[in-house]
Amino acid sequence: MFGLIGHLTSLEHAQSVAKELGYPEYADQGLEFWCMAPPQIVDSITVTSITGQTIYGKYVESCFLPEMLASQRIKAATRKILNAMAHAQKNGINITALGGFSSIIFENFNLQKITQIRNLTLDLQRFTTGNTHTAYIICRQVEQAAAQLGIELSKATVAICGATGDIGSAVCRWLDVHTEVAELLLVARNQERLGELQAELGRGKILGLETALPMADIVVWVASMPKGVEIDPDALKHPCLMIDGGYPKNLATQIQHPEVHILNGGIVEHCLDIDWRIMQIVNMSIPSRQLFACFAESMLLEFEQWYTNFSWGRNQITVENMEKIGQVSVKHGFSPLLLPSG
Amino acid sequence: MPQLQATPEIDFQSETYQDAYSRIDGIVIEGEQEAHDNYIQLTALLPDYKDELVRLSKMEARHKKGFEACGRNLKVVPDMVFANRFFADLHGNFQKAAAENKIATCLVIQALIIECFAIAAYNIYIPVADDFARKITEGVVKDEYSHLNFGEVWLQAHFEEVKAEVEAANRENLPIVWRMLNEVETDAHVLGMDKDALVEDFMIQYGEALANIGFSTRDIMRMSVYGLTGA
Repeated sequence: MFGLIGHLTSLEHAQSVAKELGYPEYADQGLEFWCMAPPQIVDSITVTSITGQTIYGKYVESCFLPEMLASQRIKAATRKILNAMAHAQKNGINITALGGFSSIIFENFNLQKITQIRNLTLDLQRFTTGNTHTAYIICRQVEQAAAQLGIELSKATVAICGATGDIGSAVCRWLDVHTEVAELLLVARNQERLGELQAELGRGKILGLETALPMADIVVWVASMPKGVEIDPDALKHPCLMIDGGYPKNLATQIQHPEVHILNGGIVEHCLDIDWRIMQIVNMSIPSRQLFACFAESMLLEFEQWYTNFSWGRNQITVENMEKIGQVSVKHGFSPLLLPSG
Repeated sequence: MPQLQATPEIDFQSETYQDAYSRIDGIVIEGEQEAHDNYIQLTALLPDYKDELVRLSKMEARHKKGFEACGRNLKVVPDMVFANRFFADLHGNFQKAAAENKIATCLVIQALIIECFAIAAYNIYIPVADDFARKITEGVVKDEYSHLNFGEVWLQAHFEEVKAEVEAANRENLPIVWRMLNEVETDAHVLGMDKDALVEDFMIQYGEALANIGFSTRDIMRMSVYGLTGA
């Protein structure tokens, strides 16, 4: 059995979902209540591969909300993630993906130090960030959506915003090895890490966001921040492909320009309907088929019975592992979300 | 991404800490005493389980001694007058249920609510306890899981016949727990224990117990937050 640990995007969203699902006790509550609420398994999932194999999973709602970070309720935020992980393990789930902010919080607050949750020792082998599959899917989106727009990678400049992150650095490695991309622009806050990444790749220009964006034919946005940044679409190249692989996804709402094409990054489509309710709740446009690639990673690990934390730690994603997860992604019928045709 | 602020060092010898500790330690000692008495009283209602209940009551008596030692170690006199008053409502409800032969209600009060609360409080306390109290509490918490289990097993075996009674006992007693928690929120905070963490841990423990007994996720979500708002 596979598991997904997820959360809702805001307090308002949480209230409306609780109401919709028929939990009035949760629907009228403020942030204080969500800081106290325990994790719950709220959905059962059945997925069938194009190979015909069927697997089962559970969705664990952690009750984390991004407002907890914004209002410095850090202890509550970290507790939500650890308790959700303990809940998944107690319920016998073999491999669970940490979705949304879950893996970011785990990594950022060094939660690997805390393995004893009440009377349970967390077995970290049972969890994956899903970042290898997410990075793979974003790379495939770069390749395929560029082709859709007639952007030739061999002549293209690609800016990676959030380049030193777990997903960002993996995307850089793949684009370097697997594509003819003319130029890589590396954008991130930490100069030391940028220098290390540049040395590892043996290429790439380190630039600030304002300088990099107007030069890029393709922008891969993989920075995660509770609040977005202001981007002026007139200052971008036209056409420009922007892949919004950050969390939460907010580029499409703020940039509207006919020559700037925004694609939700790290999203996959499955070739068959998935029996679940939860993607409706996170506002996917085709909820029965579209999902976060990190969630799909736990499904792939379950299909292949690779019960191990395939993606873990920071900046350890190799091109080989991206190829490996990519092969089984195709094998079981997942494909990257692309731009609408026509 | 915001950063985690370092937890301030706790001064176990400070007047503020010791003052708060006198009430919290009192509650814990009284809680263990209540538990001891309740398990003894249950032997009359559940004579088939007498040996098991006596064993559990002895465990509680041992825990009580442990927490008395924790107080002496910090040179704190537990405030037993406060503690007695603190438990009065739950005590009264248990006595009333016992007099009416309501076994399920008694088990909900003692073996679920009080035990879950104790486990939650001890789990939250362990990381912020002084070295002496930490060792004692770690030992106690292991035992408490077995008490929880006793209530769960009995209620699970009689689930269909007692379901409505369990729900009624939940409605009647959970709001009392929230009120009790509010009464000691400030003292618990002085000891380094946050209310939201306590409530969350309680709901996890209590939710798991309800699930083991046979309630659905939907029932659990409804029951475990009963009366929390407005508390």
